[in-house]
Amino acid sequence: MTSTNSPAVNLAKPASATSGRVSGESSMWFFIIGDLFIFGAYFVSYMYYRGQDQQLFLEGQQHLDQWIGVVNTLVLLTSSLFVALAAEGARNGNRKTALRMLTIACALGVLFPVLKMIEWLPKLDAGLTPGESLFFMYYYLMTGLHLVHVILGLIILGFVFRELKTAKHPNIGFVETGAVYWHMVDLLWLLLFALFYLMR
Amino acid sequence: MTELAVDTANRSAVPWFKNKKLDQYICFWSVPVFYTLFGLVFVPLSYMMPPRSPAAGIAEVVSFMQSPTLLIASAILILVLGLSAVANACYAVQIRRMSVSPVFLYAFLAGSMVGAIVGCLFPMFCFGLGAFRPGYDPEILAMLYDFGYLSFIGSLGCFCLNWGVLSLAIVLDKNAILPKWLGYYTAWQFATELFAATVWIAKDGPFAWDGLMAFWFNIVIYVPWQIIVYVCVFMAIKNQSETELYSSELESAAPNEKLAYS
Repeated sequence: MTSTNSPAVNLAKPASATSGRVSGESSMWFFIIGDLFIFGAYFVSYMYYRGQDQQLFLEGQQHLDQWIGVVNTLVLLTSSLFVALAAEGARNGNRKTALRMLTIACALGVLFPVLKMIEWLPKLDAGLTPGESLFFMYYYLMTGLHLVHVILGLIILGFVFRELKTAKHPNIGFVETGAVYWHMVDLLWLLLFALFYLMR
Repeated sequence: MTELAVDTANRSAVPWFKNKKLDQYICFWSVPVFYTLFGLVFVPLSYMMPPRSPAAGIAEVVSFMQSPTLLIASAILILVLGLSAVANACYAVQIRRMSVSPVFLYAFLAGSMVGAIVGCLFPMFCFGLGAFRPGYDPEILAMLYDFGYLSFIGSLGCFCLNWGVLSLAIVLDKNAILPKWLGYYTAWQFATELFAATVWIAKDGPFAWDGLMAFWFNIVIYVPWQIIVYVCVFMAIKNQSETELYSSELESAAPNEKLAYS
């Protein structure tokens, strides 16, 4: 069991090796699929409790700013695009481009928690705390859990940056693992945005 | 691989009581003993679990807090809580073998110690105290009831640290002591602790201490994790090369010590 997962080693493969295989490490796919199941269960429970008292949830939703939600979505989608470009650059052996793309992706990623604070703090000041109603409890917890994922993603992208910057032969599998995780963070946000901001 | 083969051959030749990993195996098998007692105390002996409602009426709280079996349950758990340290030692030994900074090991040990005190000893004192002397004011019993459940289900930071450290150590480890996917699974434990924070705010519904989001989802993730992690720790002990054992380190250190003292 212990020998099935090889430690991070140099996996600089020729371009032909990239076709017909799954991007990233299998353990990360285990995490992603599991994470989607867990979020899925949370979403189902949200829908259930929303169905129990739809009026309360709709009233809570009135306090959310859809525009900041749209900006958050655009920031994350664009960031994901640049992560994909960085992975593509790394695969093609174009380290400089990969680093440049990753820097833009990280800068956009850092913007996300800042936007969250801009969104949360005035609400908390106005007394819309998690204790206000079940909607706000779900809202802060789910977006908070997503924010934890974003911060973890930024840490992972930091390690990817170091790999691309310092490794003699960057580990492409590791770069892809980071990219795949970042795409999942993106996907989760799309679902959160639809459920909390848009659904009427 | 050859070392492992030699280990296996040696293992079959020596009797079990001379096994160099006997200390680790004894620690390991204390874990099911601990969790069996843990389960007995919490479910049939006291009915503390599944958690009672935070919105329970005062009469219900008083009858629970003054049930005679609650005092026995609390006394048993206070007595055997030391075994949780042994259980955590099993993880700690494996973290020590990983190619990560010693900071991980020390943080894990400190976190698990705080976790055992706040998450287990505090509630047992609260419930035990309620049952200790008849005639306590019902309001005081209600407060002890809240204190007991809040510290049992809502003690988060130390566990966040524990799971975070263990998860990160497994993922960063290059010696592949524990499987990487277990590191990611452990990261979910961290997330469930975040959801348990809501018990400090909600007194009913899915985020209360007996709620779907704050308790039941967490249990569904936690129970298989606890079983899987021990199977993985068992495999790690089994696969550990005998040349890497502490006892052999001590043996090799002993002659030098003698020299130093002579």
